[in-house]
Amino acid sequence: MRRGDNLRFWIVIALLVGLEFSVRSHLGDQRIAPDFLLLALLTYTIRSRPGPSAAAGFVVGLISDALSPASFGAGALAHTIVGYLSSWAKAVFFAENLLVNGGLFFAGTWLRNAILVLASGKFSGTQLVWELFVWSPLEGVTTAVAGIVMLVIFRQWLAVRMDES
Amino acid sequence: MALGADRYATRGDTFVFLVALALSLVAMSLPPGTRDPIASSLRRTVLWPFLQLQSRSEELRTSRALFVQVEAQRDSATLAAGELGEIRSENNRLRALLGLGTRLGSGFVPAEVLHQASPLGPLAVVISVGSKRGVQALAPVVTPDGLLGLVSRAEESTSVVATWANQEFRASGMAADGSVYGILAPHGLEGGAWLLEMSGVPYRLHVPVGTRILTSGLGGVFPRGIPIGTVIGSAGETEWDRTYLIRPAVPPGSVTHVMVLTSSRSDDLRTTFTPDSIRAQQ
Repeated sequence: MRRGDNLRFWIVIALLVGLEFSVRSHLGDQRIAPDFLLLALLTYTIRSRPGPSAAAGFVVGLISDALSPASFGAGALAHTIVGYLSSWAKAVFFAENLLVNGGLFFAGTWLRNAILVLASGKFSGTQLVWELFVWSPLEGVTTAVAGIVMLVIFRQWLAVRMDES
Repeated sequence: MALGADRYATRGDTFVFLVALALSLVAMSLPPGTRDPIASSLRRTVLWPFLQLQSRSEELRTSRALFVQVEAQRDSATLAAGELGEIRSENNRLRALLGLGTRLGSGFVPAEVLHQASPLGPLAVVISVGSKRGVQALAPVVTPDGLLGLVSRAEESTSVVATWANQEFRASGMAADGSVYGILAPHGLEGGAWLLEMSGVPYRLHVPVGTRILTSGLGGVFPRGIPIGTVIGSAGETEWDRTYLIRPAVPPGSVTHVMVLTSSRSDDLRTTFTPDSIRAQQ
């Protein structure tokens, strides 16, 4: 990868992190607002090897645990698994196009939330059902939409293909 | 290089993954006495600039809302300039908007809630003030509508608030008229909304739907008279007692600004939190 490409990629990642801490709280219901930090992680994982992706997931998860301290370690576990699986699955199974990346963002968000609530053990019964089948899918959709918009805007910088085959 | 260039997991990748997984499990199994300082040090170091950014962003939102409010007030004042009575009335309404802070007088610190993207967000939130501003552990955290929770950990410039939705939350509650007492604890999600339940109500006593539930002041953590919620139905009963479902007064997911009560208060706060409409009638 050329140095310029690398720099532009990290600018996009930094932008997403900035959005998480400046814009996200202005986007309505916090349960379904797009998760820009996770988006940054997933964007990183789809162009990185599974090992570094897992490590990045661990770091992002630890940050998430420090900021939302209801169950320390559960975020690290969830982000590590999502980071690794995202990178691995993208390499093995998925074609490169916009919709597939959108699907990856959706699935990554849902899986992260599912692991988080199950590993934390804080939710059960109806709570769990609502979280898994209502709020998490909705957050997944908003995150996927934000991710697709990001890819469209920065497709040159991220070198993503736009074909849908 | 295009996104998702071909590569597969090597042994090295698997090793890193397993190490990260193991570290996550270790983090989960740490006792609170070990993990809290780790989380705290992260918030005070690498995350400090981001929390400051979020705090400024929340302030900006408040400033914008205030600007819109001031514009509306100006427009209203222009329209009502010919009628002094209208201006007085408007003035009274604006004074009422000052609300809780004025009624509390002293002994509180205002703070912004720094929400994060996590399904566990409603259980514990980080707020933008800490021990530097006099915040201490176990300090009650309130909004003009009622109780949000209590400070579980106070750091220098931020604090962690365990909300009423947290499984460890307990408070002694009472009906607004003081006729019934019970123990409040989180009930979980019901129909998509987080609820509380009040247990330990003697079987012979009935609490009508719509009854306001306040803190009773027993236990010494929460002052008497902070609204917690409203009774919306029964959650069950035994031979000895009844349990009631409470719709909380403060939804933790949407709170943006709070007040931390920094001095221990023994006074009854019922009149402080009385809805403005009722106070106006009085």
